[in-house]
Formats: sequence, structure tokens, C-alpha cells
Amino acid sequence: MKNKVLMGLAAIAMVAVLSSCGKVPQEKIDAANTAITAAQTAEAAVYVPAEFAAVQDSMKAIMAEVEVQNGKLFKNYKNVTVKLDQTLAAANQVAANAATKKEEVKKEVETLMTEIKAVIEENGKLVKKAPRGKEGAAVLEQIKTEMATIDASVTEAQGLYDKGAYMDADNKVKAAKERAVAINNELKEAIAKVRR
Amino acid sequence: MKISWKRILLIILATIIIASTVILLIRFAPEPPAREVESARKAISEAAGNKADTYSRKQYNQARVYYDSAMVNWKRENQKFIYFRNYDRVLSFARLSEKKATDAQQNSVTSSANLKSKLSEKLHSLKALERELNKLFDNYPLTEETRSRISKGRMLLEEGDIAFRKGNYLQANRKVTDAEYLLTESFENATENLKNYFKSYSQWKKWVDLTINESKKNNDYSIIIDKFSRKCYVYFSGRKKYEFDAELGKNWVGYKRVKGDKATPEGMYRITKKFDSRKTKYYKALLLNYPNTEDTARFRAEIARGTLPPNAKIGGLIEIHGNGGKGIDWTEGCVALTDREMDLVFKIARVGTPVTIVGSLAELDTVISK
Repeated sequence: MKNKVLMGLAAIAMVAVLSSCGKVPQEKIDAANTAITAAQTAEAAVYVPAEFAAVQDSMKAIMAEVEVQNGKLFKNYKNVTVKLDQTLAAANQVAANAATKKEEVKKEVETLMTEIKAVIEENGKLVKKAPRGKEGAAVLEQIKTEMATIDASVTEAQGLYDKGAYMDADNKVKAAKERAVAINNELKEAIAKVRR
Repeated sequence: MKISWKRILLIILATIIIASTVILLIRFAPEPPAREVESARKAISEAAGNKADTYSRKQYNQARVYYDSAMVNWKRENQKFIYFRNYDRVLSFARLSEKKATDAQQNSVTSSANLKSKLSEKLHSLKALERELNKLFDNYPLTEETRSRISKGRMLLEEGDIAFRKGNYLQANRKVTDAEYLLTESFENATENLKNYFKSYSQWKKWVDLTINESKKNNDYSIIIDKFSRKCYVYFSGRKKYEFDAELGKNWVGYKRVKGDKATPEGMYRITKKFDSRKTKYYKALLLNYPNTEDTARFRAEIARGTLPPNAKIGGLIEIHGNGGKGIDWTEGCVALTDREMDLVFKIARVGTPVTIVGSLAELDTVISK
């Protein structure tokens, strides 16, 4: 009887050994994937693309490692678990970094918007004072047209800002500001020439 | 109780058989292509680092699809009993993925470098075109639509330049292409318009020569107005004696066609009346015989062709007058001088003094090269 018990225990131990020593850490995999999705939702691909790509790559490497272990008789997910914890933390960090960067760009757009509105206002005053200049009305007409284009561009940038597309708004408002500053300089130069 | 040797031997034998089976399973089980899959993953990662997802999107996406297929097949094979696994398809997809990713990376590096170089050249040439537009047409009454297109083109060029400096070549390319279309089209239209205007140059030259010859022949004064350079020249005895800045009607390009078109006429005229400050609100004025015979004939022909409405009026009261020096083209079609210059012109001019108004004294090539 005792021998039968011993034989049974040995067989169970053998089956346990053969069937594996560990289980796929599915909960951790799900948690890491959820964190990556959250980073994506935080527009990490837009604001911190390199960091986001690195996290995605880590996850791919982990999933390959899971399959390596899945294929073994003696499975060991210890290393996978450690890496999953690291990737989860990294994904959370990437999401936080994306949010920080997004906020920075948002603030930059706000500053640029304030600055460009001041330049536009100044240009409006300068154009009234501007000498008609030797170039005549055509130049002033062109400047007025340029000012209208800048206004339209600022409105477009504001629309992008309102939609939360801060990166696009940033590019647009920067270009508009450069044009507005160029006109400002042109007008100031023309006024200064007359005073001399 | 005594354990029989027979049973002990049986247990040992069973253990050996099981252990041997395990060893055999491990030894002869098919090996998954983990290294190849890892290489594919690394190749995809490197391709993404070289912006293959932007510049070689198709190949990059194919690499990813192959990689996903390798993983799906690997997972499927792992679910089978160890001896029935076959990783051939996994291996095949992994290799395809790595190849596509490597190609995508190389293609991306080449494409982005080419695009960068092309964009750099295009930005350079468009900025030169922009300067050319400023130089040639700042002074030229372009249509509101053309001005607006130039302005939009400039803004897009600026946006393209910013995207280029940030390394967003695809975005820069879109902006620069749109800017190129607007600026080139505007430049071509404006140049075409200018060329058409200068088609009358031989006629202008003839008028100017006749006017100068008359001044020489009669040993008298004659006045020539160059609209393009905004100049008023006073000739005496065939030689240029005075040169003043002149201001014209807002739409100074071309002939005066109709009353109220704010255009300064072109042709050979004469002074018909002199108005001192009591008789004009423009300090002093010299009335010209506009419309002359050619103006009237052209106006009638336009009515007959239907390019002007039947009730259109040809206009009149074209003068050289004072109140100028504003620096803009502000008159209704007259030629304005400063009051001081008007004093001089008023003094030397008499009824009958020739006044010739032309588009330009210089040829188009000279105007452009200036």
C-alpha cells in the first residue's frame, strides 16, 4: 500500500514538473498593455515619440520572451515578470512625460498667441502712421493683405488650439508670428526713414 | 515489512524511463526561432528610429504585419504537443519581417535625405522668387486676388520653413508645394500682365521721341510723364531740364478706359487751360486735352464691342496739378506734383505745351534688371 502511495506521489511530481513550473503572468501583461494604451491616449506618439517607441519595443520583446517560455517544458516567467514591472513603470512615465510635454507646448502656444496679438495690434497702429513711402499705395495694400493673412492664420491656430492640437497650432502660430514681426520691422523702418 | 528488490528495481526502471523521455523531449523537440524573431523586432525598432514609419510607411507596415504573423504562428505552435510543433512559418515570417524592416530603414534614410536636399533647394529658390516678386511688383497695382495669393504663399512658405527646420520633411513638403503653386502662379500672372503692358513700349517710345523732337524743333518746353518710374520730366529744346516725382491714379497701369476708373491716361496731349489757385482746389493745375482723338476712338470701339456698357462715360478733367508729395498714387487719374514743383511747371507751361504720358521710358528688360 505504502509503495502505491509513493508511486502515485512520484507520478504527480513528474506531471507537475513536466506541465511547467510557472504560469503566464497574464495580469501583468494586461496591466502593461493598458498602461501603453494610456500613454497612447496621452498622445505620447506625438509629444514623446522616441520614448513611446521604446516602450512599445520593450513590450514586443517581452511577448517574444513569453513565447520562448511557453515553448519550454520547464517554464520560468520570473524574468518576464521583472521586465513587465519595468515596462509598466516606463509606460506610466511616458504617459506622464507626454502630458508634461503637451502642457509645455500648450503654454508655448498661449505665450505665442499673446505675443502675436500684441504685434498685430501694434501693426494696426503703425500702418496708420506709416508714410505712404516712395513705393506708393501698392506696398501698403500688400501689407494690409499680409496682415489679413496673418489674422486668418492666427484664427486657424486658435481653432487647432481649441481642438487640443497644440503641436499643429504651435507650428502655425510661429509662422504667423515671423510674418507679423517682419511686417512690424518693415513698417518701423519706413517710419524711421521719414523721421530722419 | 520488507521491501522486495524486485519492486525497488521496478521503481528505478520507471524513473529512468521517465527521465529519459524528458531528456529526449528536450533534446529532440523543435527549437523555436527566438533569435530570428528578436532580430526582426530589433530591425523594426531601428527602422522606426530612422522614421521608416514616415518615409517608408508601406515597407515598414509590411515588416510589422510579418512580425505579428510570426508571433501569432509561434503562439499557435506552442499550443501543440512538443513533438508536433513546426516553427517553419514562424521562421519564414520573422525573416521576411527583418528583411522588410531593413529595406524600410534604408529606403527611409535615402528618401528623407533626398527630400531634405530637394526641400532645401526648393526653399532657396522660392525665397528668391519671393524677393523677385517684392522687387518687381511692390510698386505695381496687382489685383486683390493676386496679392492675397502671394500673401498666402508667403505664409505657407514660412510654415514650410519652420517644419523643415524641425525635421518634419513631409509636412514641410506639403506646405512648400502649396506655397510654390501660389507664388509661381502669381509671379507668372503678374509677369504676363507686365509683359502685356509693355507691348505698347514701341508706341510709347515713338510718342516720347516725337515730343522731344518737337521741343527741340520749337526751342520750347515739353513735359513727359513716365508712369512706371513715377517721374515727370521737363524738356527744353530737346534736352531734359527738370525731373520730379509724380503721383498718379490708383489704377495707373494701362489706358484710361472710362470715367471713374482711377487710371491715368496714356497718349500725346497738350495743355488746354491753366488754373491758378483761385480756380482749382489742387493748388495750381494744367488741364490736358483728354480725351484726345485716339482715346475717343478706343472708347467707342469698346462700347461697340460691348466691353464697356453703352451708358459708360469717357471722363475728362485730366490735369497736372499740385497737392502732391503724399507718396502714394491717390488721384482720380491726374498727375500730382508737390506745390513747389508745380509752381515751376506752371510758370514754364503755356496753353499748347505738349504733355506726353507713357507707361515707361525704359524697356521691360531694363525695368526687370533694375
